[in-house]
Amino acid sequence: MSRETPTRTSPAQTDSGLGEKGLSKGTVGVLGAVVIGVSCIAPAYTLTAALGPTVAEVGTQLPAIFIVGFLPMLLVALGYRELNNAMPDSGTSFTWATRAFGPWIGWMGGWGLIAATIIVLSNLAAVAVDFFFLLIAQLTGNAEIAALTKNLWINIPVTLIFIAAACWISYRGMQTTKAFQYGLVAFQLIVLAWFAIAAFSHVNNGTAFDPTPIKLDWFNPMAVESFSAFAAGVSLSIFIFWGWDVTLTMNEETKNPATVPGRAATLTILLIMAIYMFISLAVISYAGVGNTGLGAGNPDNQESIFAVLAGPIMGQFAILMSLAILSSSAASLQSTMVSPARTILAMGYYKALPDRFGKISPRFMSPSVATITAGAAAAAFYVITRLLSESALWDTIAALGLMICFYYGVTALGCVWYFRREAFDSVRGFLLKFLAPLVGGVILLVMFMSTARDSMSPDYGSGSNIAGLGMVFVLGMGVLLMGVGVMIYMRLRSPGFFKGETLKRMK
Amino acid sequence: MRYLVGYTADARGAEAIALASALGGAKAHLDIAIVLPEDTPFSAVYPGSDHGYSSIIANKVDEWAKKALALVPEGVSARVIARAVPSPAQGLITVAKETGAQVIVLGGRKRHMAGIFAPGSVASALLHSSPLPVALGTPGSVAALEKCGGKISRVTAFVGTGAGLKSVVEAAAASALTQGLPLRVVSLVSQTHGAEDPKALESWIDFSRTRVSQAVAELEIDAEVLIASGSNIDDAIAELSWKDGEVAVVGSSRLARKKRLFMGSTAQRMLRTLPVPLIVVPRNYKHYSVASQH
Repeated sequence: MSRETPTRTSPAQTDSGLGEKGLSKGTVGVLGAVVIGVSCIAPAYTLTAALGPTVAEVGTQLPAIFIVGFLPMLLVALGYRELNNAMPDSGTSFTWATRAFGPWIGWMGGWGLIAATIIVLSNLAAVAVDFFFLLIAQLTGNAEIAALTKNLWINIPVTLIFIAAACWISYRGMQTTKAFQYGLVAFQLIVLAWFAIAAFSHVNNGTAFDPTPIKLDWFNPMAVESFSAFAAGVSLSIFIFWGWDVTLTMNEETKNPATVPGRAATLTILLIMAIYMFISLAVISYAGVGNTGLGAGNPDNQESIFAVLAGPIMGQFAILMSLAILSSSAASLQSTMVSPARTILAMGYYKALPDRFGKISPRFMSPSVATITAGAAAAAFYVITRLLSESALWDTIAALGLMICFYYGVTALGCVWYFRREAFDSVRGFLLKFLAPLVGGVILLVMFMSTARDSMSPDYGSGSNIAGLGMVFVLGMGVLLMGVGVMIYMRLRSPGFFKGETLKRMK
Repeated sequence: MRYLVGYTADARGAEAIALASALGGAKAHLDIAIVLPEDTPFSAVYPGSDHGYSSIIANKVDEWAKKALALVPEGVSARVIARAVPSPAQGLITVAKETGAQVIVLGGRKRHMAGIFAPGSVASALLHSSPLPVALGTPGSVAALEKCGGKISRVTAFVGTGAGLKSVVEAAAASALTQGLPLRVVSLVSQTHGAEDPKALESWIDFSRTRVSQAVAELEIDAEVLIASGSNIDDAIAELSWKDGEVAVVGSSRLARKKRLFMGSTAQRMLRTLPVPLIVVPRNYKHYSVASQH
């Protein structure tokens, strides 16, 4: 990214080449792209956050659901890639959906993405804080310290400090480096493999908590009791693959755009799938799905499965697991903060939100107001959930699954609509621009509606409720309805965006 | 004479442009650099990759570039260079080498609550690594410069009695000469040198005066020599009087590798308290002349 403006004598030519794709980003090969993909997924964090709630829904069919959950993600990602190639510079859900469907749906697509990332920020911070205390407890040998995280007077302020720190780092425009990413990814993979091997050796030696022999049935998604449980499981497993598609949309960042993204995406998914299978089999074999003691079905364990199981399985080396999860969730906390901030910035820039959200710090070249807003929203969301819900982590993850299904679904259908005229020109186009995103989008929106309906029940998720409505429903729908409210307010206050003055719908 | 201005679209950047214009005068050329953080694949934003950020920032930079050029006084030629770099300080040095700039100019940071000036992170990094002289303004010092129409009135060189003495005097003299400005050569003496013995202090002051005057004479330079003393460096600096539009030149620390800057502790203190813009010259830096003819 480099350009010069000529001297003052001819000031007319200030249009730069910056907007073009001549960004000197540096390039990565397959290995680099795989590392980036794995680090975006942050498997140690996603597993500890999502494994428990998924087991609660689908029991021993966990491996099956993990495999099935990848399918809609894959289909939607194929559509994403086409959009990314067609409109490389215009961003993501917000701009794509606006160009395809017009301002109203586009606005909600952007809101869905912001909401999902805000929710995941609060969850990341909470997980980081849990493992922060656990790590200190393991270091000092004082188990009481780990329990401090249950004390809201300590937990909430510490979590807010974590969020504020991430916010500050991202406001200063600091970025993770190559060496840091490689180290973090390698460390996570080693610790997860260690955990799984240790669990299996306990099973072998007869020292496991509830040795459960692996059955072929675990891989059969049809064996899940009900469609509700299936839908809930899939919407949770979307979350565990969230981040994978980044490898697929890398083009000019790779050494060979023709081969690297495809190979990296394939390798990443094989690697991640192997880890997920290995870990989920290990957890169920070791702990069973019983709802007492260490059982993976015990609601007390489901909020953060590794916090409970790492100790018994890895012994004194459980400290490595704490370190892996703390480091990966803290790193993700920082890098994820950038995402909602940039979407808010884009919405401010195109006047879909008030102008001030479009401000860029001249010193740090970061979206200043948008970053602080994202941090404040994540903090507010966390405090509210923590105070209202009996198990905040669980409910935020379930609400997050809802939100991802929503904005992924909207964007996928946006892709179908955007390419509707050229989709039938070739077989490849038909498959990638029409069929894949259509099927993926429909699956996700069906999951969204089914999960939304089920989550109205007060028993859904962790079982918290407000006036008889399930907590997950209140959180998920509350956030979406708030978006509708803000959208209507913006329409009344500054209608420019909604009239297509700043971002045009493609006819 | 080319100046590289490290520009940010705020008061600090405006100060940098004002200072560079004053140092350079009518024949100067300003390369106004806007440095952006480099996007690497390893800083991938997820979910949703770039969000159109790079095109938004490109438009923003264009806007800033126009504003920056509008700040340059009539008659001074200028252009804007925007560059994505791994680190701002390193990026400024690279751009300066490419453009053949002789000085890198930075604006100051707002004064802290305690009234102490502290260089920002970019300035600090430059002061420890630049192969070129670095000029630093502070809000107050640039305001003083503006009072006399954005022109320099006098050059003051701060010297010690060690090895770097002559090269700093030379650098300052070259600047003063080309603009026909008066030169003042100051050596600071803090009373810690003389401990509690007033006689030792007296003799130290005399020694300094002799050394500095000798050096000035050897270089055949016409300059006022002044020894300022106080109980510490801050007090010694407070002894000095300043004209509006004056600039100070100081050499880099003896710790510096040859031809690189390294901000010594005395220079750091001066930076915090001097009411005038400060130019730090690398040790053994030869092709100086930090200000050119008006």
